[in-house]
Amino acid sequence: MDLSRSIPKALSAKKKMSKQQLAQTMVGWGFVAVAAILIAVFSFYPMIQAFYLSLHSGMGNNLQFVGIANYLRLFQDATFITAVTNTFTYLIVQVPLMIVLGLVFSVVLNRPDLKGKGFFRTAIFLPAITSLVATSTIFRYLFGQQGLVNMALLGLGIIDSPLGWLTQPTLARIAIIIVITWRWTGYNMIFYLSSLQNVDYSIYEAAKIDGANAIQQFFKITIPMLKPIILFTSITSTIGTLQLFDEVMNITGGGPGNSTLTISQYIYNLSFRWTPDFGYASAVSFAIVIMIVVLSIIQFKVTGDKK
Amino acid sequence: MKKMITAIAASVTILGLAACAGEESTGGTQVGGTQEITAWAWDPNFNIRALNLATEIFEGINPDITVNVVENAQDSIIQQLNVMMSSGTANGLPNIVLIEDYRAQVFLQAFPDMFFEMSDFIDVNEFAPYKIPMTSIDGRQYGVPFDTGATGLYVRTDILESAGLSVADVTDLDWDQLIEVGLQVKEATGLPMMTLDPSDLGIIRSMIQTTGTWYTEEDGITPFIEGNEQLKAGFEVFRRLIDEGIVLPVTDWSQFVSGFNNGDVWAVPTGNWITASIMAAEDQAGNWAVVSQPRLPGFANSVNASNLGGSSWYVLNVDGKEAAAEFLASTFGSSIELYESLLNEIGAIGTFIPALASSVMDQEVEFFGGQRIFSDFADWTQQIPQVNFGLHTYALEDILAVAMQSYLNGQDLDQVLRDAQAQANNQLN
Amino acid sequence: MKNIGKIITYLFLSIAAFVSIFPFYWMIVSSTNTSVDVTGGRMLPGTHLLQNWQTLMGQVNFGQSFMNSLQLSLATTVLSLLIASLAGYGFEIYKSRAKDLVFNILLGSMMIPFAALMIPLFRMFANLSGTFPFLGLNTKMGVILPGLATAFLIFFFRQSTKMFPKDILEAGRIDGLSELGIFFKIYLPTMKTTYAAAAIITFMGSWNSYLWPLIMIQTQDRQTLPLLIANLGSSYAPDFGIIMLAIVITTLPVALVFFLLQKHFVAGMTGSVK
Repeated sequence: MDLSRSIPKALSAKKKMSKQQLAQTMVGWGFVAVAAILIAVFSFYPMIQAFYLSLHSGMGNNLQFVGIANYLRLFQDATFITAVTNTFTYLIVQVPLMIVLGLVFSVVLNRPDLKGKGFFRTAIFLPAITSLVATSTIFRYLFGQQGLVNMALLGLGIIDSPLGWLTQPTLARIAIIIVITWRWTGYNMIFYLSSLQNVDYSIYEAAKIDGANAIQQFFKITIPMLKPIILFTSITSTIGTLQLFDEVMNITGGGPGNSTLTISQYIYNLSFRWTPDFGYASAVSFAIVIMIVVLSIIQFKVTGDKK
Repeated sequence: MKKMITAIAASVTILGLAACAGEESTGGTQVGGTQEITAWAWDPNFNIRALNLATEIFEGINPDITVNVVENAQDSIIQQLNVMMSSGTANGLPNIVLIEDYRAQVFLQAFPDMFFEMSDFIDVNEFAPYKIPMTSIDGRQYGVPFDTGATGLYVRTDILESAGLSVADVTDLDWDQLIEVGLQVKEATGLPMMTLDPSDLGIIRSMIQTTGTWYTEEDGITPFIEGNEQLKAGFEVFRRLIDEGIVLPVTDWSQFVSGFNNGDVWAVPTGNWITASIMAAEDQAGNWAVVSQPRLPGFANSVNASNLGGSSWYVLNVDGKEAAAEFLASTFGSSIELYESLLNEIGAIGTFIPALASSVMDQEVEFFGGQRIFSDFADWTQQIPQVNFGLHTYALEDILAVAMQSYLNGQDLDQVLRDAQAQANNQLN
Repeated sequence: MKNIGKIITYLFLSIAAFVSIFPFYWMIVSSTNTSVDVTGGRMLPGTHLLQNWQTLMGQVNFGQSFMNSLQLSLATTVLSLLIASLAGYGFEIYKSRAKDLVFNILLGSMMIPFAALMIPLFRMFANLSGTFPFLGLNTKMGVILPGLATAFLIFFFRQSTKMFPKDILEAGRIDGLSELGIFFKIYLPTMKTTYAAAAIITFMGSWNSYLWPLIMIQTQDRQTLPLLIANLGSSYAPDFGIIMLAIVITTLPVALVFFLLQKHFVAGMTGSVK
């Protein structure tokens, strides 16, 4: 296993060195093998399977080859188009909202003169430890026709009659966005806070002396410094949003009338809610993969980062 | 502290993985001389209680078989059946499952091998004839028909009275007339008439069935949405209910039930399986009555009777199927005693014809002010127009729910239905 | 002027903290109330905690689900940390062009959404059910396996390994430690904070996961807490007091893990995002 130690470093003749390198290489492969095999078996292989399935159609396990018919069907499928539109609505509204909020919190909470930092940090992070199903269950009640949100708004005199948070399409989408933002902002904030710990605070002091105000500091120092981590969180949030399932499933179930339905939920419905059509469901899943790849490339391009 | 956590983590992990190795279960398990079978249903007020009553009776018939009754939400029953049947695995399937009649044909046609034929265990002629086509294929009987979905309009007599109205004012109406009453009561008492889930078009289903129309042509397969005047009228009623402000919006079953249990609404137009849930609010005893279902306005052939829901029992083709079949055959398949106690205990009306002749059907129900509600339902049942539910009721209804949203948002109804027809043609080929 | 800015800052933070914490307050309070009180909007602690607890333990198999979740999450956490840290270490310490290529390919799997994999994975495990009953549908192994190796964790460990002083490795070799020995005796103890951060993320993810268990688990005796909560919430007659108590108890272990490892968590995250 460890030839390396038996070979004194001084005797680094080229031939022996390469033998040592070979041994090292093999040991290295050993370290990564389990992970690589598992990912191959449980991610890449199923991906190929999904593609194979997407060329088939039929009820349950009686699948027949249909070529690209499933992919053509996607373009005429109003439900698919609704699911994509909804998912992108969440993406476009929610991801930027959450990232900006997370950044603002982290910058404010990073100020050395702030009192009660620990409390605020913990409080804002706290939602991130809850299970999505639990979160959804709580908010489904809070947003109910006679739930606390309506009670509070009525009590404050902001509205005259209860709002249909979960029964009116636009409000239902807003409710979903509020819940996701509540759940994930603190999570993203932690990444930014951790990054900010690596930034020397004296840069800000210097900027202040140069007359830069808080907003200028934010855009001129904070954003550029955090660029890699912002890119990272925006990609993971994008992927997360494109797979949105738990929250919508447990808050609105996709309703009213598909107005909050997500792509993942549509795949689930196609596979397990109606008569299973695994072939078409796989075609829908492949469509998400393509969207994620395209979006990630765009995000890399926009932020101009090469890694 | 940290060591302790590590130790706990390690031991639980090992325990957990060790437990993995030994686990496997199928529907029926044999323990000694007795056999246990599992049955799934969803409504604790209704079909779960029906199963429990059947179990009690069966103990006296064959004590060697015990029945494990499991409550699962209907959606999760459907999901799990789909998952397990499409994977072809019996692991985890129950022996007996309750399936709503609208969905039965889809399962029977997609997974015929997963069901156990019941033709030899029950006499098909003893059940209401309309249940048979939905629970069988090609003359092979799979389901044991259970409840009727005959609908009625449940109303709060005390609230009507406080608005200066009586039961007679809501009897044998059409929906437009009922809406007028709803407005009157709202003005007098401030209470909305009924709950309404904007995603659930069950009420429209019951409206169009009063005219013998369905979402599909008579073949049960071809979508019939565009040009379906009855469906269009149903949509218009649905919208009017919302526009007039006489409904309380809800999003799930529990809100629906608490709507009438809490006295937030005064009318419930639905299937008779709701009786037990209505009676759960004991403080409202004596304040309820049931009148006939409203007609669909504008259609001469619309009757004051319809159907909503209704379900049947199925035996799955897994270990223990003979015991499960025996259980169903000697309870829901033949026991008049069971059907009598179903009526007495939970107000459930079966479709087993010999039991319909029972004197229990004629009893006066205190909770409903002494009304003979069971014989009323039996009368309405006779008038329900027959339709073929076919394969796609819920798939089409999901499409129509989207159409409903567009319509509620102000789009032209004809256009909305035309789009829905196109979507249905595309999705169902 | 300065004071106004400060007031606005604190006001802003206080509102954010209130919004973040209020649902927790509400769920804790509600777990001590009856369902009727909860739906009626009662915001004060009640006296029904014990009844709710008894119903939860007696009627709905909560204890069983709790143990199921605990076993699954701990097994997932321990195994995925081991697998991912070995790989992250391997990719960084035994760097080679071929390994970098493999690493990048593995990273690509982050782009594949789980929704795209669930059907083939489901069919894979369904097929295994016949031959390997302990691996098939409705088994703990089946729930754990697909999530054991994640590109994200490997990436996380590799990033952190970049900070790891390589001279120590040489010292270890000279001391006669095997390569694996170096990993377990030197690397692992040094990287405690990284492991802590990874453990929190993995444990939370596994404890809260819903979609895959929803598909894989069919029987009530094996359901996990999120499945139990979803079922309670969608049942025909939900009892909100009991649901809230279930949610509170479900949230506690994660909160506990988080507060115990919080310091390491922040430090570990800081190391990896450099």
